[in-house]
Amino acid sequence: MSEEEAYQTVLATLKKEAIYPYTEDEMQVVKSIESCINCGLCIQHCPVVAAVGLDRFSGPRSIAVELSRSPPEYWTTADVVYLCTGCGTCREVCPKDVDIPEIVNLIRARIFKHRPDLMPKQLHTADAIIVEHGLAFVPWEDPEEKAESRDMRLERLGLRYIPDQVVKGADVLFYPGCQAEERAQEVKESAKIILNHFKVKFTLLEELNCCGLPATLLGDDKTALELALKLKKKVKDLGVKMLVTTCAGCTSNLARIAERDAWGIPVYHMLEYLVEEIGIAKLSSAFKQSTEEEPLRVTLHDPCHLIKHTSRITMDYAGQILGLIPGVEVTQSYAHDSCCGGGGLVSYHAGDVARAVMKENLAAIEETGATRVVTPCPLCTAQLEDSLFRQGSSVEVDDMTVFIAQRLPQEG
Amino acid sequence: MAKYDVIVIGGGSTGTAVARDCAMRGLKILLLERDDIASATTGACAGMISSGLKYMDEPNIVDMCSDEVVNFKRIARHVMEKNPIITPLLEMSDISSGGNFAEEYSKRAETRDVPPVLFLTPEDSLKIEPTLNPDLIASIYFEEYFISPFALCMLQALDAKQHGADIKTYCEVTDILTKKGSITGLQYFNRITDKMESAKTKAIVNAAGPWAHKIAALAGAKLELRLNKGAHVILDRRVVNVGVIAKAIEGRMIYLFPHENTVLLGTTALDTWEDPDTLVASQDEIEYLLKSMEWVIPSIRDARIIRTMEGVRPLIPTWKIPEGDVTRGYEIIDHEPEGVSGLISFTGGKLVMCRHMAETATDLVCKNLGMESECKTHNEPLPGNSDDVDILALAKEYGVSQHTVERMRARRGSETATILELTCDHPEWKTTICTCEPVIEAELRYAIRATFPQTLNDLRRRVRLGTGPCQGTFCTFKAAAILAEELELSGEDFQLEIVDFLAERWKGKRQSIRGEQIAQEELAQGIYACVGNLDQALEELDYDLKPWEEVL
Ligand SMILES: Cc1cc2nc3c(=O)[nH]c(=O)nc-3n(C[C@H](O)[C@H](O)[C@H](O)COP(=O)(O)OP(=O)(O)OC[C@H]3O[C@@H](n4cnc5c(N)ncnc54)[C@H](O)[C@@H]3O)c2cc1C
Ligand code: SF4
Ligand code: SF4
Repeated sequence: MSEEEAYQTVLATLKKEAIYPYTEDEMQVVKSIESCINCGLCIQHCPVVAAVGLDRFSGPRSIAVELSRSPPEYWTTADVVYLCTGCGTCREVCPKDVDIPEIVNLIRARIFKHRPDLMPKQLHTADAIIVEHGLAFVPWEDPEEKAESRDMRLERLGLRYIPDQVVKGADVLFYPGCQAEERAQEVKESAKIILNHFKVKFTLLEELNCCGLPATLLGDDKTALELALKLKKKVKDLGVKMLVTTCAGCTSNLARIAERDAWGIPVYHMLEYLVEEIGIAKLSSAFKQSTEEEPLRVTLHDPCHLIKHTSRITMDYAGQILGLIPGVEVTQSYAHDSCCGGGGLVSYHAGDVARAVMKENLAAIEETGATRVVTPCPLCTAQLEDSLFRQGSSVEVDDMTVFIAQRLPQEG
Repeated sequence: MAKYDVIVIGGGSTGTAVARDCAMRGLKILLLERDDIASATTGACAGMISSGLKYMDEPNIVDMCSDEVVNFKRIARHVMEKNPIITPLLEMSDISSGGNFAEEYSKRAETRDVPPVLFLTPEDSLKIEPTLNPDLIASIYFEEYFISPFALCMLQALDAKQHGADIKTYCEVTDILTKKGSITGLQYFNRITDKMESAKTKAIVNAAGPWAHKIAALAGAKLELRLNKGAHVILDRRVVNVGVIAKAIEGRMIYLFPHENTVLLGTTALDTWEDPDTLVASQDEIEYLLKSMEWVIPSIRDARIIRTMEGVRPLIPTWKIPEGDVTRGYEIIDHEPEGVSGLISFTGGKLVMCRHMAETATDLVCKNLGMESECKTHNEPLPGNSDDVDILALAKEYGVSQHTVERMRARRGSETATILELTCDHPEWKTTICTCEPVIEAELRYAIRATFPQTLNDLRRRVRLGTGPCQGTFCTFKAAAILAEELELSGEDFQLEIVDFLAERWKGKRQSIRGEQIAQEELAQGIYACVGNLDQALEELDYDLKPWEEVL
């Protein structure tokens, strides 16, 4: 038997026994479960467990342990692994640093590759869209309709339109992400207003492509990698010094891939950019000139992708920024850092679970007496808006980038 | 006094196989086991139903093993799995040690439904097993089947029972009665009733493994064994994709085998005169295994060791040769010539041969009893081997997670549906009790009702309770409460159950404890001593420290 035939014979047995050898990288990810001492902290803190109970979602430790102890049985986790919102709470509370969200991604990738029949069909649809369009959503067919929708939003919010610009050699690449590009266009527009106000030399991409996070979350690693590499090329061609985004998910994912693929530039969330690069002094004086003075009681919602996947400091910045705005009073919700249920693509196929997770946030928001929730992520915004609306609540939701843009002095 | 055609002593792989064979041939059988089914050597073995890996120079044994694999596939496929195995070669001299292995193995590969021995390039080997030492020059690849030793023994015992045998655990044979050189019966101490009991028989099969010489002595017969200790180091999960075989420091073969949800690193082989009952793995053995495996898997020391386990092989007494040269065959000794008629004993043997050993012994018993009979053990399936189990459908039907159902299937085969059915009347029995394996309450209840466990340790053998990385930290008190309810244990016995189980876990943990297992142990101590107050309770309980619990 030739070397190649021998290898193929072995692969055939491995396939039959459902043994898909871990690569070295995967082994490192899975190795983190080795330090688990079954203390149960992650289970106590997982928002999905709290919302739907252990019978439906056996919890973070179970996912990690089930997969990693006996790899050939990876497929049996398909009924629970897609219910994880990827919020990262488990990893944050774990005293032994077990990286459960990464293990979840790894299992999903195995199922995607070897048992796609076990993946929720809505995720197949989502994947097909990403593969076809390079975006998380089907793009607008008619650019005029897209512009109309944008203008309506701007009008409602009292914001002006600044045309898109692509500038080679600009300092900052503003990356709106799929949600702000295709749906919450006001977020993208607001970011441009802010950057413009502070006279930042910024550019957009000629053509946006998804950062690959949704592909990673549904297990399509190949597509995720393709998108990441495409983006890297675009970033390199523009020759920018840094990247700024307004989406929490993009922030954490771009930071991860920029490091992994050696982009050589830092990735900022808009809030970080404002505090660290523009500076509190400039922000403060800008807000002082604002005409928007109506007193407002707000509460913040912390996106998981910022606090649990990137850094908790971003939300400290959020508080600092809101503190600079005249008339704005912040009341903290007891569930400010609890997952909104919008992550991990859970809402795509298990809306009931996503909504159950959100419940705790809603009660806490109502309790603050705030009339508005502010959060620095268009996805969290959409998730919160939808749930508050369903509940018949009068509390409004603003993406924080929009909220800031509205409170800058109107120019020109 | 109860009367039996044959009494079998010992509830390991050999004894349960004999009981099954005898019962299937219509004999009235009593099996006496002083502890639990598969609680001794069998419970410590790797479960490899080998094609004859280590004894390629004994072609008749290789043939026998190969046939037995095929038989097991027919009767017990639900508790079996296949492991691909890689033997990395680090230098040319490693190849020569292969001897005629490749040829002998490949000759019989087809009947077992495995490919012949293959040679893999270093690149391909590393793709299959990236933990291998990258300096390898090639690797040898082959496949072996494994069986769960606990499940096999339990199923053999249950099947014997279904064929009318009496299976009594916790009954220790204390005397064998003879009259004019013929067996008339025996006496045993029943630890459950706390009474001496006796039974009449003309035929005794001594399947007491490494204690066989002591049983023979009870009848005034002589039996020699070469006792050989073997230890395993158990890792917390499957740290390798496939099985790995390596040459140990003195040239023996050692292995790293995926086993259920763990990996076994083994084994040592030391001539021993220690008491098999209190034996623990030594620091030397642990280090020998790690050092030997480290050459081919450099990261092995970073893996989490959860415990060690050890057993004593009852080898055929051949002396003045290395252990590895002792035949792996078995002998059946009829003690009639030395004046004890009706007693036959086993020496040697392996798990893989247990059915074959039983067949030969039962043939002899039948001949001695003057009856004609035919062995059927290789054709009739063991319980649970009947239908394929549809995991996805069952999980959906009963609202139990797929993974839980799959693990249950690996232990129970087609009984899985019967167990899940229990959750219809008791939805609360879906609760996961052991969160490492995992095991739900329904399976525990079922195991308690259908498979006669007396202790939590017995339950461990039946459902793998407490065998994961947390080593009983979270399941012990829950499972003890269930056992206490089912067996109507007193409050004191409930506490003793917990302490006993933890003590047995400690036996395996103590020798190897290091790294994360220390943090785990602190948590366990915190729960049972600080929160459960069991350290205080001990003083009032009737509990003697086990030999391995003594404070140094
Ligand atoms: C480390 C190790 C690894 C091994 N790996 C493998 C392998 O991978 N494959 C393989 O085929 N073989 C393997 N073996 C060999 C195999 O385990 C044994 O040959 C086999 O299990 C012996 O079974 P047994 O029933 O004869 O003995 P045991 O399992 O020891 O059973 C004897 C029973 O007799 C009982 N008994 C003793 N005295 C009395 C009494 N007075 N009254 C009542 N009962 C009594 C004991 O409690 C015990 O349960 C391994 C052995 C060791 C030690
Ligand atoms: S990432 Fe969040 S939802 Fe997922 S298991 Fe961890 S805590 Fe639960
Ligand atoms: S918090 Fe960490 S150590 Fe504790 S059970 Fe969860 S994964 Fe294990």
